[in-house]
Amino acid sequence: MFVKRILIAAAALAYLGFLAVLGAAYLIGLKQASAWPPAGQAIADKDLSKVEKNVQQLEKRMSGLLPRGLYIVIDTAENRLFVKNGKEVVRTAVVSCGSGVVLEESGGKQRKWIFDTPRGEFNVKSKITNPYWVKPDWAFIEEGESIPKGVEDRIEAGTLGDYALGFGQGYFIHGTLYTRLLGRNVTHGCVRVGDEDLKAIFKAVPIGAKIYIY
Amino acid sequence: MKTTAKIAVIILAGLVWTVPAASQDKAGLLEKQNSLNSEYSLAKDSAFYFVLDILGRKLELRVRGMVLRSWPFQSMRFWGRPELSGNVELVRKTALKAPERIVIKPGGDAEKVESAPGPAAKPTGTNPAEFELEALELKDMPKKFSLDFDDGLHILVKTKTGASGGLLGSMREGWRWFVDLPLRNLFGPRTGAGLSELELTFDNDKDAQSIYWHFFDGIKGIIL
Repeated sequence: MFVKRILIAAAALAYLGFLAVLGAAYLIGLKQASAWPPAGQAIADKDLSKVEKNVQQLEKRMSGLLPRGLYIVIDTAENRLFVKNGKEVVRTAVVSCGSGVVLEESGGKQRKWIFDTPRGEFNVKSKITNPYWVKPDWAFIEEGESIPKGVEDRIEAGTLGDYALGFGQGYFIHGTLYTRLLGRNVTHGCVRVGDEDLKAIFKAVPIGAKIYIY
Repeated sequence: MKTTAKIAVIILAGLVWTVPAASQDKAGLLEKQNSLNSEYSLAKDSAFYFVLDILGRKLELRVRGMVLRSWPFQSMRFWGRPELSGNVELVRKTALKAPERIVIKPGGDAEKVESAPGPAAKPTGTNPAEFELEALELKDMPKKFSLDFDDGLHILVKTKTGASGGLLGSMREGWRWFVDLPLRNLFGPRTGAGLSELELTFDNDKDAQSIYWHFFDGIKGIIL
């Protein structure tokens, strides 16, 4: 009976101790939280004009970083393409971006491809009317076909639509036969666009225009 | 005489009201200069960066000073040291169930290493958005994950609705937030740096998922 009481008292003490520690932790947490947001530093009156000038200069520099003229912005998650001029959206198109699938070559050189649309800042490097597709090795490997030796066996017409805008390393913004899949991530890295949007984009966006893919 | 007294009172009242406002403006101006400086250092390069505006309650993905995506958060809470400002770099992105890429090995022993949902486009409905594809899409991204930054800041991103993990998950989360973190904050974390734990809750699942999609390891950012 006595031992039982001692045990209960010890458990109660331990519990109270735990609560006290937790309470202290909360107090410290609250003290830390009340220190946020930190009070802003004061500027001396003599420095005020200097700071104002700095802010103006920085704002000017920041606005100077924005692309000039028309540019393209592509959201790979939402599969959307925006043609923009400054902050204004001129055109929005539903597109298809990279599937993110990994293709591994079983035999031979055991190469590996990741079908992602590259992200970053690019430029329109080329504009092609009636483009044809020179099928790369992965296109044959994916289909389980042998890789042809001659370039003529790699050429496929009609697959890329009526227009293509190249942005480097073999990546293009081009048309598609699979319009039902626009809005989904299905490509091997290129950006597929519907016919009407592609025509408008091709006509509007000049070579050298910036492309931001994120 | 009466008119002069009235004017004097108005001028005095004006002075009393404008002095704190002016000092607030000054502090704001200095903060603006600092944040512009931080942002310019990132924006002058072509890489994407993020801006976490805590008081403005939004997280933004930017490039060249241009806002690409903005995700307003519904609520936030934090434990630990409150120095939530300055430039940071994402070191690690962790999710309980991180999305995995589908691997295709044509002609090999294993056609598909990772299990993939059916052939290229298996219709489950009439809407193309419902097709199951062999692809890694936004819907495959986690709704709850954490971001670890180089300065020790740990941000948990979650949504109001998703990924609570039922009663057990809620209990685990409650224990973590209301017991584990305060005690760790009191006794100090094992790493030596002060604890800095921020939790952001977003309104819809898609917001959290697209943050996971767009935030890659090494992305730099500013916390305002």
